This record gives sequence, structure tokens and C-alpha cells, in this order.
Amino acid sequence: MPYKISRMMFWLVLPALFLVLPSALHAQSSPFAVPLDELRSRVQALQQEASRLEEENKGIRQMLKDLEDDDLYLVVDTESNRLSLRQGNAVLHAAVCGSGSRQFIEEETGRNWYFETPMGSFTVLGKERNPVWIRPDWSYVEENMPIPAESDPDRLVRGVLGKYALLLGNGYKIHGTKWTNLLGTRFTHGCVSLGDDDLELVYKSVKIGTKVYLY
Amino acid sequence: MVVLLVCSLFLLGADNSDQAIAERSVLAEQELELNARVDSLRSEQDRLQFQKAMYAVDSKYLVLNISARTGQLLYKNRVLKDFRFTPSKNFNAEQLKPGVLVITKKTEAKNDRHALRFGKSLIIQWRRKTVPPQEADIPFISLTKKDLLSVFFAVEEGAMAYVVR
Repeated sequence: MPYKISRMMFWLVLPALFLVLPSALHAQSSPFAVPLDELRSRVQALQQEASRLEEENKGIRQMLKDLEDDDLYLVVDTESNRLSLRQGNAVLHAAVCGSGSRQFIEEETGRNWYFETPMGSFTVLGKERNPVWIRPDWSYVEENMPIPAESDPDRLVRGVLGKYALLLGNGYKIHGTKWTNLLGTRFTHGCVSLGDDDLELVYKSVKIGTKVYLY
Repeated sequence: MVVLLVCSLFLLGADNSDQAIAERSVLAEQELELNARVDSLRSEQDRLQFQKAMYAVDSKYLVLNISARTGQLLYKNRVLKDFRFTPSKNFNAEQLKPGVLVITKKTEAKNDRHALRFGKSLIIQWRRKTVPPQEADIPFISLTKKDLLSVFFAVEEGAMAYVVR
């Protein structure tokens, strides 16, 4: 008798298992295992999170936009000796330039100079047409000449800085050069040199207050 | 009978009406989409926060776009240099996650074969003849000599780079 009951149970249960088990397994591995309410609240929480992030990102983007501008700026790469005129992400003009020679000279008295282009963030403080070079002391030391008085007219030299100059402060300038064959190398006493055409374009493009980044 | 009873109890939680099934399906799809959207927004926020921070500090930094294979050297909101790079053979774009990297070591070598190391994540280099054993497994990207020199001398140890896809 118990054997018969067991057999009957077996034949009742087996097909039921075949019918039920796949659904049960499916229920375990799919979203159907999650109660509907929980799923609804999860989606709602994600919607709120997305809205919060969208709102925050919008705020940061606006903050960054407020800090941006359409101003032109100059960048001088003293490693590759390239100058670029830029606006935002765009390069408006690229030119070969010269930068400080990184040479060191010393006077008999012990006074010395290191000809390096300064690095950092600068501003165009002035613009000059037909700039006059006021020969500094190192120029005489370099040529083994006696150093004249500061007011000596011999110090005023015309034509060597090209037609234009942009003043960056502390005597540093972006100007022209007679040694155009040396452009692309480090040959200056610290200023940035450009060829005539590039200098004219840069001079006419920038204004006093334009930022210059030297690195 | 016992088994049947257990199975029915097991399935009690499941809502079998067609409407509920349809709703579940829609919700599940929405959940997936929203998860992806939230991830993307978090990633965007991370990048924007980095940008905001860099606008405020006096330090040059790099942005590396892995999929476009391009990079930029920046200072605040100004682009100082654009460059292209070639990834190494062991470079796995999926492994390098978007986010901040920090220059942990600047190595100056003979013949301008310098390298910038970002921990164990990445090396920026030109052609290096010898790679130290401890750096052999680190993926690298190669720049042209001129670009590498410009970037190498523009940044200091501790400077940051941001990886985007």
C-alpha cells in the first residue's frame, strides 16, 4: 500500500516539477524575482539620481563656461621653439621662433648672465613699432667691449629688433630678428624672436593685455 | 504533494498577470538604461570637477583621449599644446579607466629618451632603448621626440593627467 501511494505521488509530482521548475528558475535569475514594488522604487531612485547629477553637471558646466572667454592668446614652446596664436581650442597661426640660448657669460668683475627665456604666464604690456634696442651691459661683455655709460647714445640701436615688438616686462619681448636662419633654435638672449611675416601677423592680432604663456 | 506545495509557495511572489509582466519588463529595461545614464553622468561630473579644480591651480596638466589617440597640454583653461600618440602593444584601452593619473616619476635618459611615469598605470615616452624591469609590464604611449620634449619639460612630478575615452 505505501508503495502504491509512493508511485502515485511520483507520477503526480514529476510532470508538475517539469512544468514548474523552469518557471521557478526563470523567476530566480530574472527581474521577475524582484517584487514589483521594489523594482518601481529602484527605478524611481535612479531617475532621481540621474536628475540630481544632470542638475549638478549643468551647474559646473555653467561655472566653467563663465571662466572661459574668446580672447586670443599666445603660447611659446621653448623646447620645440614654436609660437602659436590661439583662441579656445583652435590654433589660428603657428610660427617657428627663437628662444633663449641657455648660455652663461661672466664678466671679469664676477657679474654674470644666463640667457634663458622666462617661463610662465605673461601679459602683453606694450606694443612698439620700429622698436629701438637699448644695448644692455652683457652685449658689450659678450663682444669684449668697454661698457659705456647708461645714457650713452651708442646703446641705442635701430633696426635689429625688426619692425614690431611686444613687451612682456623685465626687458623681455617678442620681436623680429636679423638671424632668421636661426629661427627654430635657441639663440636669443632671452627674448622670443620671430620672422618678419609672423611678427607682423602676431603684432596685428594681439592687443595690450593679451595673455602669453611661455613653457 | 509536498513538492507541489513547496513549488507553489516558491512562486507565490511572482506576479503572473500579463500587465505585471509587461510592467516588469519595461521597468527592467528602464533600470538598465538609467544605470548606464547615471554611470555616464558620474563620469562626466568627475571630469568637470577635475577641469574646475585645474582652472584654479597654477599647474600645467595633460588630457589624454585614449580612443582618439590625442592629447593636450593645458594650463588653466588654455591649451598650450596638442599632440598625437601611439599606444604600445600591451596597451589595453579598457584597463586604463577614465579619470585622474598623477606623474610619479620623470626619468631623464640619454639622447632625449625621457619618460613620464604615472604609477603602474601608464608611461609616456619617446623611443626608449632600455626599459627597467619594473616598468616592463606598464603600458606606454609614444609621442614624437619633439612633442615628448615639450611635454616632458613642461610638467613636474606630481602634475596630473586626465584620461578620457
